[in-house]
Amino acid sequence: MWFTMSVLFLIGLVYSIKYLNNPDPYTDLKALTANQVGVVFGFCGLVTGSMWARFTWGTWWTFSEPKMNLAALALTIYVAYFILRSAFDDPEKRAKLSAVYNIFAACTMPFLLYIIPRQLPSLHPGASGNPAFSQITSPSLRLIFYPAVIGFIGLAFWIMDIVLRYKKLQYEWEKDR
Amino acid sequence: MITNIIQQDTSTVVDTLTKAYESKWHAANNLSSSSTIIQDMASHNLIFIVLGVTLIIWFILLFFIIRLDKKVGTLEREFEHEQSITETGDS
Repeated sequence: MWFTMSVLFLIGLVYSIKYLNNPDPYTDLKALTANQVGVVFGFCGLVTGSMWARFTWGTWWTFSEPKMNLAALALTIYVAYFILRSAFDDPEKRAKLSAVYNIFAACTMPFLLYIIPRQLPSLHPGASGNPAFSQITSPSLRLIFYPAVIGFIGLAFWIMDIVLRYKKLQYEWEKDR
Repeated sequence: MITNIIQQDTSTVVDTLTKAYESKWHAANNLSSSSTIIQDMASHNLIFIVLGVTLIIWFILLFFIIRLDKKVGTLEREFEHEQSITETGDS
């Protein structure tokens, strides 16, 4: 889930930069869609990660675990992106400001998810000397895991395409009226 | 007291995953000497956690797709409504 989310947020970042380079309403819609689907997958990762924590650490949520809390913070930064969008009526202004905000949000992402959790004491695999994912899983599990990552990224692309087609139609429809 | 209960619980649970994959799973070969996290995970019936995780993922995605379906339906109805108005307006 986090793999898929990272890929989608990266796509959102690329389209936001593209929009600022060349203001085209469709590019803005693409960035919005990528972020929207990315947040859905991030939410999946957070909920299932919480479930995993229940069975390995014995608690659904702990505030002493930096990776968990910073992942939640990263998601709220993206929720703020949607709230920021809804605050503007002028589509051009909205697209421009949200593109700038999205670049900021995407830049905080690697720090929140990868750099800071590694600097703090943590129980999460892959943090502060704990074995990372590749060290505690067997090769046969990895054989399933990485195709599953690719599959979910494919699924995310498909969902993104459907949402994008819907948004384009809606945009044309609202424009004509 | 509580830890006793937990330990009793986990020892009675039938561990299907470790038994079936013990020979294939490298981490299970020297389970007694591995870290406490791995030991703890192997003592639970992991397949239910896997089931829960996959169900959560599918239900969230399903919810998202159903919501999208409803939005498309609303747009469709609006479109048909507008079309019927222009048709009656022309005739």
